[in-house]
Amino acid sequence: MTLEIDHVTKRFASTLALDDLAFEVPRGRIFGFLGANGAGKTTTMRICLGILHADAGEIRWDGRPTGELPRRTWGYLPEERGLYGRMLVLEQLVYFATLYGQTPARARADALHWLARFRIPEYATRRAEELSKGNQQKVQFIAAILHGPDVLLMDEPFTGLDPVNLALLREAFVELRDEGRTIVFSTHQMEAAEALCENLAIVDHGRVVAAGTLADLKRSTRAHTVRLGVEGETMPSWLGALPGVVAIRPGSGFAELELTPATQPSSILAAAVSRGASVTHFEVAEPSLEAIFIELVGRSAADDTTLAADAADADADAGADAPSAARDADRDSDRDAPRIIEGAA
Amino acid sequence: MAGRDPLLPNAAIVARREYRDRTRGKLFLVSTLLLMGLALGVALAPIAIRYFDRETVTRIVVLSSDDALAARAISVADGLLNIPPTGADPATFEKTFLLERGSDATVSEAGLLAGDIGGVMRVERLESGQVSVEYRTNGPEDGVRSQLVGFAAIAIGILDWTATLPPGAQLDPFVTPRFDPVSINVPTPDGRPIDQQELASRSFLGIVFVVLIFITVVIYGMWVATGVAAEKSSRVMELMISAASPRQLLTGKVVGIGLAGLTQYLAIAVPALAVLTVQDRIAEAILGPTWAAGAPLVGLTPDLLLTYGVFFLLGFTLFALIYASMGAFVSRPDDLQTLSLPLSIVAMVGYLSAIVALGGGGRGFTTILSFVPPFSPFVMLARVMVGRVEPWELALSIGLLLVAIAVTAVVASRIYAAGVLLYGQRPGLRAFISAARQA
Repeated sequence: MTLEIDHVTKRFASTLALDDLAFEVPRGRIFGFLGANGAGKTTTMRICLGILHADAGEIRWDGRPTGELPRRTWGYLPEERGLYGRMLVLEQLVYFATLYGQTPARARADALHWLARFRIPEYATRRAEELSKGNQQKVQFIAAILHGPDVLLMDEPFTGLDPVNLALLREAFVELRDEGRTIVFSTHQMEAAEALCENLAIVDHGRVVAAGTLADLKRSTRAHTVRLGVEGETMPSWLGALPGVVAIRPGSGFAELELTPATQPSSILAAAVSRGASVTHFEVAEPSLEAIFIELVGRSAADDTTLAADAADADADAGADAPSAARDADRDSDRDAPRIIEGAA
Repeated sequence: MAGRDPLLPNAAIVARREYRDRTRGKLFLVSTLLLMGLALGVALAPIAIRYFDRETVTRIVVLSSDDALAARAISVADGLLNIPPTGADPATFEKTFLLERGSDATVSEAGLLAGDIGGVMRVERLESGQVSVEYRTNGPEDGVRSQLVGFAAIAIGILDWTATLPPGAQLDPFVTPRFDPVSINVPTPDGRPIDQQELASRSFLGIVFVVLIFITVVIYGMWVATGVAAEKSSRVMELMISAASPRQLLTGKVVGIGLAGLTQYLAIAVPALAVLTVQDRIAEAILGPTWAAGAPLVGLTPDLLLTYGVFFLLGFTLFALIYASMGAFVSRPDDLQTLSLPLSIVAMVGYLSAIVALGGGGRGFTTILSFVPPFSPFVMLARVMVGRVEPWELALSIGLLLVAIAVTAVVASRIYAAGVLLYGQRPGLRAFISAARQA
């Protein structure tokens, strides 16, 4: 039983949002659906839900086209959060669940369970507008799962959550997966994706550029990542002058250097020693998901501080954003010098 | 997916939420109570007017150099202007006009200008012997009072002429001519001519009904539009559109808000209608039997109420669907005011045409509009209230309205579904049509 995205094409006026997009999501897995803004993630989810129709291709769950599936098959957390501000939280959750066919009594009991689980039971009888954004997000997450859907489509579920709530949501993901639910989520938080995803697909301009398990993806990349610590300073100025370095990120007591496939890690150590640096840390690391993502998508992380930061104008309006994503990619390809990326590696 | 989803139960679930959301607010309660008070005030207004009328005595000054003519003019005008209402006891009836002899034309004219005097009758005999009556007034020349004074002038002339006949002249006694006004454009369902009070009542109710439909359409229609626009701007629509089909959402919204409107509307109309029903008895109790002017709801029949109910329902549904599409079209509720203006003007055209029809004017024009949605709920109702409408005409008008609602519902759900896809964009018409096709 799988979710099949079978060569789906979708065009908005002159913009090709999905270009023969194809991948599969096995049942009972947490699947990361990654891509830059305007890559086509939201469009794909909307086609799953039947809000949009594909120009070509088909999406199937358990062999059945989405058009034949009941709405309660899906649980959807849109990227753009929204609740009825004046409505009480519990009332609102019961309302959404009953629209999906849940009985009010069952919906009420489950809603109270999840509110307690997310440590906000006292908000059940509050108006949604009285809640913080993070708590509203948790309520919306509960609204998406309350009717017990087979497939959860979560568009940027972690955006705006503090570390405690992030951990709660991750636990919920795992619990739902263990119940046999299939979770497809998009995110710009590579760390979260790396920690949760068993399978993933990276899309760029409406096409899959990589898909498989996380281990497969890491194996497939030829780029090396080196962590280099030298005494006295974390980010020596000469790092930028080293040949074969694509990107540099500051880490905790070290700098993380992303190398071109042709560059050997030992050449970096040799260069450091030749410059008289006292090396305190040297490590050849597996490439992070973020490094793989940048390599495949060619997106400038420097523009975003981290990829996680830019959730504001993701691909809700895929057609409008796709050209700007393409412009960013073009701009990046012109660079010769390594990118200095702010923030911890 | 939308075509496969049955309307129920989701449309009912959405309708219940919309109804509760609208009716539970304090604003709803306050505005309903205010409007209820206002409607009661309007219903009681005729009694208040009659109460103040009772207190008012209008002075009419008669100027004449001929004492006999002056006395005759005062006598005749007094009789014509102070006719007691039907059923009033002449013995206890308090006159509302005071006829008095004036001596100074300048003083009378000043009093007329100052408003102390209601009118000045100058009665003189010309050299030819003809009696001349000039009525000076601040009111219109063809006003009811001027016309009554005109009748008085004729009566003064007749009396003056009979006074000049030689003593013992043989004349047949004067017989008042019969006068029967016949209107050929009154509802006569059983061939029975309608009486004037009933016709006046129907005309009054026609205005009330048309105003109520207009208010319902514009105010409650805007409720629907702002509801949709608010869902869109708060982004909750994206969640809704994945939980229910556009058809379910649209139906639920229109029904829920329509029922909330109906609740407010009944809360306002029922007490006001109750007061109108017993208005005459209230007038009698407060002002005495002389001032009871007949029940204002005498023209209201179950058929007319049913017709009103049908046009109210269909008119609201049609306009609410269009308003819902407008709500889906805009990105911010602020833009709604501008966008809804043309629709308000359309409703206004229907309303004004109905008022014309109630006055008996614009026959060809109003007849055509009474079949054309979205004007027909106003204009056909007006025609039914005061004119003769054949059953086939009524059936055709309702049939066309139903067809218009069906077509609008299909288009509105497409626009509604497309609206969710146009977040953050200022949609041109082309972009919107394209999105509607996608939906």
